[in-house]
Amino acid sequence: MTEAMPAPPKLSDPERRTAFLLSLPAAMILLIMFILPLGLLLGVSFTGPEGFSLAAYQRLLTTPHYLSVIWNSLKLALVTTALTFLIGYPASFAIARARGGWRSLMLGCLFLPLAASVIVKAFAWTILLRSDGIINSTLMLLGIIDEPVRMIFTQTALIVGSANVFLPFMILPIFAVVAQLDPRLGEAAAMLGANPAVAFLKVTLPVTMPGIIAGVALVFSLSVSAYVVPTLLIGERYPTLAATIAKAYLLTQQPAFGAAAGVVLLSIAIAVVILSSRFGRSSGGLS
Amino acid sequence: MTAPDAGLHLSISNVSKRFGATTVLEDIHLGMAKGELVTLLGPSGCGKTTLLRVVAGLTHPDTGRVELAGRDITRAPPYKRNVGVVFQSYALFPHLDVAGNVGFGLKLRGLPKADIASAVHRALSLVHLERYADRPIRALSGGQQQRVALARAIAVEPSVILFDEALSALDRKLREAMQSELRHLLTQIGATAIFVTHDQEEALTMSDRVAVMYKGRIDQLADPRTLYDQPATAFALSFVGQSLSLKGKVVSSDADGSVVETSAGPLRVPRRFLRGSSVIVATRPEHVTLTAGDNTLTGTVVGATFQGSRSLVEIDAAGTRLTAEMPGRCTLPERGETVIFSWPLSETLSFSGEEHA
Amino acid sequence: MKQLAIIVSWAAAVFACLFLLAPLVVIAAASFSPTPVFDLPTGGASLRWYSRIGTLDGFWPALWLSVEIAVLSTLISLVVGTLAAIAITRGKLPGSEILAAALVSPLMMPGLVLGIGLLQYYRSVGFTASWSGLLLAHLVITLPYVARTMIAGLSRFDFTLIEAGLTLGCTWPQSIVRVMIPALAPSFLIASLFSFLASFDNYPVSIFLTDVRTKTLPIKMLQYIEEAPDPTIAALSTIILAGTVALLLIADRAVGLSRMAGTAE
Ligand SMILES: Nc1ncnc2c1ncn2[C@@H]1O[C@H](COP(=O)(O)OP(=O)(O)O)[C@@H](O)[C@H]1O
Ligand SMILES: [Mg+2]
Repeated sequence: MTEAMPAPPKLSDPERRTAFLLSLPAAMILLIMFILPLGLLLGVSFTGPEGFSLAAYQRLLTTPHYLSVIWNSLKLALVTTALTFLIGYPASFAIARARGGWRSLMLGCLFLPLAASVIVKAFAWTILLRSDGIINSTLMLLGIIDEPVRMIFTQTALIVGSANVFLPFMILPIFAVVAQLDPRLGEAAAMLGANPAVAFLKVTLPVTMPGIIAGVALVFSLSVSAYVVPTLLIGERYPTLAATIAKAYLLTQQPAFGAAAGVVLLSIAIAVVILSSRFGRSSGGLS
Repeated sequence: MTAPDAGLHLSISNVSKRFGATTVLEDIHLGMAKGELVTLLGPSGCGKTTLLRVVAGLTHPDTGRVELAGRDITRAPPYKRNVGVVFQSYALFPHLDVAGNVGFGLKLRGLPKADIASAVHRALSLVHLERYADRPIRALSGGQQQRVALARAIAVEPSVILFDEALSALDRKLREAMQSELRHLLTQIGATAIFVTHDQEEALTMSDRVAVMYKGRIDQLADPRTLYDQPATAFALSFVGQSLSLKGKVVSSDADGSVVETSAGPLRVPRRFLRGSSVIVATRPEHVTLTAGDNTLTGTVVGATFQGSRSLVEIDAAGTRLTAEMPGRCTLPERGETVIFSWPLSETLSFSGEEHA
Repeated sequence: MKQLAIIVSWAAAVFACLFLLAPLVVIAAASFSPTPVFDLPTGGASLRWYSRIGTLDGFWPALWLSVEIAVLSTLISLVVGTLAAIAITRGKLPGSEILAAALVSPLMMPGLVLGIGLLQYYRSVGFTASWSGLLLAHLVITLPYVARTMIAGLSRFDFTLIEAGLTLGCTWPQSIVRVMIPALAPSFLIASLFSFLASFDNYPVSIFLTDVRTKTLPIKMLQYIEEAPDPTIAALSTIILAGTVALLLIADRAVGLSRMAGTAE
């Protein structure tokens, strides 16, 4: 008996109270276990031996080494995002257009790696990329190379592994949008006289923009803070913000410095969320 | 406040309901005999669904009393009322198949398996779906889902069945077929039922009596014929069937009736009004003839359309658009032609202009 | 031109599938390696690495801890997240959109930062119980998955189903148990799956909250890999993968992957 009501009905107090009580446990978990700890971390990042101090930020944002660490994290995220987009965007069209068994098969190919442990996948890449690993032995067997090429602990290894781990996060949001699209949309544009490239730019790209934004934001924010993949595939040679944070807490015991690095990483993630919701709103798609 | 009639099967008396500051139901009285089919007819937002929910026990009224089969159920929860509801969205359980849905209420009543199976079969054969018993709900068409919802409601043999715009989601052809089939079926099983609709044709087809609702009140409760011939309010007139009406002021009044001065000219009405009061004068298009008579006016023809068994002539009478209905075969006046037209005093309806602000 | 676009998209899809499956296939193959280096079992498969999983130092307690934390945090999040999702989707709550965004937001935040934040927090309030500390932390990890899936599921749920249950003879609690919960079962299943896996696989938060005695399986695994990578780890990974495949097959049977893709993001 619910039907669309013209104006939102005035709430009677008991209903409001029920809704409030229902959401209370979740809101409390969020407040006590998420917002307060992050707030505390912000506080810690501004402490020094004699109370308030900007020393941690000064060290982080003026030392060339740490600037390059920040840049390393951003670079990893940028390259991973670009690469997964280049593969994932066209791929999601094929998956969305596929029917029946093919579609299930390809979705299975997305979900299985997504569900599989990051550590397992990163470990698999170390096996693949070792100098006595499968890729090298295959290349040598085929006579393409004479002696093993160094792949593990290079930036190539890092990018390949990172793209591998985060690709499903790019494809799924785009797929969700493309699967809703009317396949005749492109044809309609073509009938209006637009050539395929123009039709793509004027119709397909804008309507899939919400999916693109979601995928890009997700992959960027996940890869900028990736920890397991860089640790296993490149290690100390490519220090990232995530590794710096872990080191400050687990090895050198410099909480203020680690907290400051954490705040910087958090700010990047928050910026991504804000930017994506800003862009998401201005590109509403067709509907 | 009238005492509920002992002979009534369902009796709603003095029911009011407010949500915050808005009064959604105001002093509703409705009595139904066993086996009677009543429709609540009115525009969207007038409180039809709320009244149905009061009967079902899904909403509690602020004042008043609801009695069903001799029992006061005003405060009873829905599960102690034995009321069947066919929801607008059908509200079929997606996790159960057709038989599971139809047998749901019986299973809760703790009936033996064999009894449930035979009752489900009986209900499904009434709606001609006995071969669909083990289909999942999502594999059914809209019309079939509607029938399953009906079968589920009648399977528990409720004291009254409530339909909230139950046919509105069906396409026109299917809806018309369902209207007569549903009426036949309900009569066959002797069900007492209330329908809710905003479709006047549906109301006239389906029910023994129609309650016209407007802004939380029942304006008129009558059989379809009376409703059409003697609408109690200007709203009932405008909501059921076509009509033409003019506003005016009473200039004289005597024992036989009053004379109302409208923008198109003076009109006689067979009812006494206070002099100077504002009155709406109306009639049905089929009573209008293009000759002089009791209430005669002049106007300009602005359009005429032939519709087979009848023709419609649209006339502008001093700025008011009126539609007259002519037999199909008569010669139609030209556009722009000035015509005189009239209708008999006996078919003249009148309403106090202050009835609805 | 149109042909080209189709070819490109299919090529990308096939490449993506092979690329994504490659590490999983490799790990499974290497687990049968007859030698202690990661050879493909071309000469002959060996199961000996599987028999050695149980002998890994601290393996059983770590596995048990991870399962325990994942199951408990999923159960708690299911209850808490579903209640909040009801409040949000019924639209009776002022600021419900903000709450919805806030509940899902930890998904986009770096886990590592949450980890150190919680470490600082526990230290400052003098909370030292690592097991319950870990469980509480994993609530923040699992709640967003449950909230996201249940908000999506409940916004499609027709609450008149509950009223239909009432008019057919259900009491309120019966209507919840016999109508609402079964009708929402697909959403519960997807939410549990995502939530369980997110907790079971978590490293960046857990690493800061464990002590010598309470280490989760991912922490132990990374330790094994860094200390002495041998095919035993591949065998263990393969078993975890097999479990994941089983969970996915169940989910596919019950709800279908397309629907999961719809609610995944
Ligand atoms: N639970 C509620 N809270 C507040 N207002 C309500 C509620 N239910 C209905 N209303 C209001 O009551 C009026 C009548 O609603 P309803 O009975 O659904 O009308 P109808 O079924 O005739 O379209 C509407 O204005 C609606 O907004
Ligand atoms: Mg209604």
